[in-house]
Amino acid sequence: MVEMRFAVRRLAQAVPLLLIISLLVFGLIHAAPGGPLSLYLDNPNVRPEDIARLRRAMGLDQPLGAQYMAWLAAFVRGDWGYSYADGRPVADRMLERVPATLQLVGISTVLAVIVSIVVGVGAALRRGVDRTASVLAVAGLSIPVFWLGLVLQLLFSNTLGWLPSSGRASFAGGGLADRLAHLVLPVTVLAVAHAAGWSRYLRGSVRLALAQPFANAARARGVTESRIVLRHALRHALLPFATVVLLDASVMASGAVVTESVFAWPGLGSLFTEALAKRDYTVLMAFLMCASVAVVTLSFLADVAVHALDPRTRNEP
Amino acid sequence: MTIPRLRAFGAALGMTSLLLACAKDAGRAGASNALLIVGYDREPDTMNRYATHILEDIQSCVVEGLVTNDEKMNVVPVLAAEVPTIENGAVVLRPDGGMDVTWRLRPGVKWHDGKPHTSADVKFTVDAINKGDWKPESTDGFDRIASVDTPDSLTAVVHYKEVYAPYQMQFFRGTLPKHLLEGRDIDKASDYNRNPLGTGPYRIAEWKTGEYVLLEKVKDYWRGPGYPRIDRILFRFLPNTTTRINQLRSGEVHLVALVPWDKVRELRALATVRLNQVLGNGYEHVTLNEKHFPPFKDLRVRQALAHAIDRELLVGTILDSLVTTVDGPIQPLSWAYEPDVKRYAFDTAASNRLLDEAGWKRGADGIRAKDGQPLAFTLITQAGFAIRENVAQALQRQFRDVGVNASVKLIDGTTISTVWFSGDFDAMLHWWQSGADPEITLFFASDRTPPAGRNINYFADDSLTRVLYASDRTVDQDKRAALLRAAQRRVAELVPELVLYNTGKIDAVPASLRNFKGNPTNAGPFWNVHEWAVGSESLNSR
Repeated sequence: MVEMRFAVRRLAQAVPLLLIISLLVFGLIHAAPGGPLSLYLDNPNVRPEDIARLRRAMGLDQPLGAQYMAWLAAFVRGDWGYSYADGRPVADRMLERVPATLQLVGISTVLAVIVSIVVGVGAALRRGVDRTASVLAVAGLSIPVFWLGLVLQLLFSNTLGWLPSSGRASFAGGGLADRLAHLVLPVTVLAVAHAAGWSRYLRGSVRLALAQPFANAARARGVTESRIVLRHALRHALLPFATVVLLDASVMASGAVVTESVFAWPGLGSLFTEALAKRDYTVLMAFLMCASVAVVTLSFLADVAVHALDPRTRNEP
Repeated sequence: MTIPRLRAFGAALGMTSLLLACAKDAGRAGASNALLIVGYDREPDTMNRYATHILEDIQSCVVEGLVTNDEKMNVVPVLAAEVPTIENGAVVLRPDGGMDVTWRLRPGVKWHDGKPHTSADVKFTVDAINKGDWKPESTDGFDRIASVDTPDSLTAVVHYKEVYAPYQMQFFRGTLPKHLLEGRDIDKASDYNRNPLGTGPYRIAEWKTGEYVLLEKVKDYWRGPGYPRIDRILFRFLPNTTTRINQLRSGEVHLVALVPWDKVRELRALATVRLNQVLGNGYEHVTLNEKHFPPFKDLRVRQALAHAIDRELLVGTILDSLVTTVDGPIQPLSWAYEPDVKRYAFDTAASNRLLDEAGWKRGADGIRAKDGQPLAFTLITQAGFAIRENVAQALQRQFRDVGVNASVKLIDGTTISTVWFSGDFDAMLHWWQSGADPEITLFFASDRTPPAGRNINYFADDSLTRVLYASDRTVDQDKRAALLRAAQRRVAELVPELVLYNTGKIDAVPASLRNFKGNPTNAGPFWNVHEWAVGSESLNSR
């Protein structure tokens, strides 16, 4: 009952939050210089009359407030409008990109989680592992994703010729092996960036757990150190770790923007890059709202879960 | 390690190497007449040629124009039997100031669905665009057409309300199929807009969003059984330039059109790739905005800046001699080109003298000033375009040598269009890429400042404006050329902008590809795709 009331209250907070986000996002993308018609300016054959005609046809001649209200009214009814760039429904353009992004983000998240657990636990236990892991993590966090992507392409595709440099599948190849081969480089790049941060985070929580009285109590009872780590400390550390992973993954689902662009991966990230360059307002709004809803929903779920699992968090006034 | 673990490890290793072996050569077969793979820099917005605002390379393989232009920028007939001119009697100037253009269509041409291509399609196209209830990119020229008559199925007589000099390119984007689109909302006709009905050598077999468009050759193409020679063409969308060049090097793609100049050197070493170079129909230049930075209104200042630039040095170093310097807005390939114009050699002494005469005296810091105002302006250019960033810095340095302080500001591509359109800049390094018609009124007539045109120098000269408008109303090519030549001489005398070099176009194609000719305009290099063939003649003769 307490949980229920808490969930309802958090949900009630989420609605105005999303409204404010939508207003901010709408204002920001319209404040950016240029618009869906900027591309036409560079073409000398498109005359001012044409630009004025297209502006009217796209409804861009309306006041901003009216444009926002029209967008909001349609959006809440599930009508995301049509792309300014190619005239197709925004929902179609986004949905067809979802599988590619889920595949890339899903696989790299799983890989990054496995690597983080192995490295994080190892680093918490052994000083030598910790030093190496910490150097590698700093490197992983500081190397720009696009640079790592391009270097891996040069090495594994151009020099060694082992892997395809980009795309989701070869046109001629097409089989499972081919699809897996296309995944290797982008998954690696994305996983490296996240494993670097997550492994440090997990190392910290495991060490914190090992310093807790329950760990000492277990030691006193003669439980082996590896058993303490695996059965007690890791379990304890995984809850906050899972929250971080969930939040990061929701950002990643919309934010594998750079990786997708370097590897020509046909997912949501490359759609976003394209829409940004073209100031495709309807696609940008839908994309950013989906990303916001995902983040708000996941943090809501995480809050509710923690609230349900940990009685201490219920004592708020 | 225990034995089972070792075994599992060995199996995993075996699987991985098998995977690599399978994948290694997947998609790396060289170009062949069975399949040519093109690395393309962006996904098309729509396949409707009249609605797209991106290059029409893919579209033009499917939907042919009545004419196109070749690698020398000549207008050549495609679906038209001939290009209408005054000489062949197909263009008639009416006493009321209008003109009639008679298009005779090539007989025997069929749409891919087997229906004949006729003059009714020409009329339908004009009516559909002029009805104005959809979003064609440009209505240029169409809005001057009063009506179209179709005396027979292969003749369309287009009645213009006024004389329209660029009439030859009116239908270079082809026609819309009447039998498919009549009575429909063309913006929403996604069957056509995603997979248009054409008459060309190819049709769209598959468009996988975000990944590729696959074209396959049509049976019974109107040019005869020998055409086209290549069975399938795959356009892969690779927006990242480095990725596109990497794929060309690894053999995953065979052809990349418009290779950036700074990538040419690394491609020269590849035996599998040939670099095809043509002059472009565009020119890189510095726009001098007289409205925003009034010192540019003084002719001596503009001439001094022209003398201050060592263009040969820029071209020989930053541009690796891949382009040639030019002296005006109409390019050497055009029939209207005037070679004999006033030129401004690199001459800092002349530059200094002109600035002294204009009253701009050097101060203690070496920068010139007049009435307390320093000769200092901001030069904007597009960010992320490496060559341009370097040229801008070199110009900054060369201007500094004559006491002019230019500071470089980089602006992203979408934003910069809005900035120049609003006129809110001093000087801009950029290019114009034009179609085959040599009209330049848009850029130099005094009343064509934004939003009415592209005169962003905000430059005004009455005699030039008169000559330009006269050239627009002249259909006879020799007479029009004479007017445009006079205009080019006037532009060179007045230096409204600092012209640097021709934007030559370089395409990387398979060394074994024959009949690839390139194209100086945005008509693109695919204009003669039906002739392309891979390998030696003896292997592919049919």
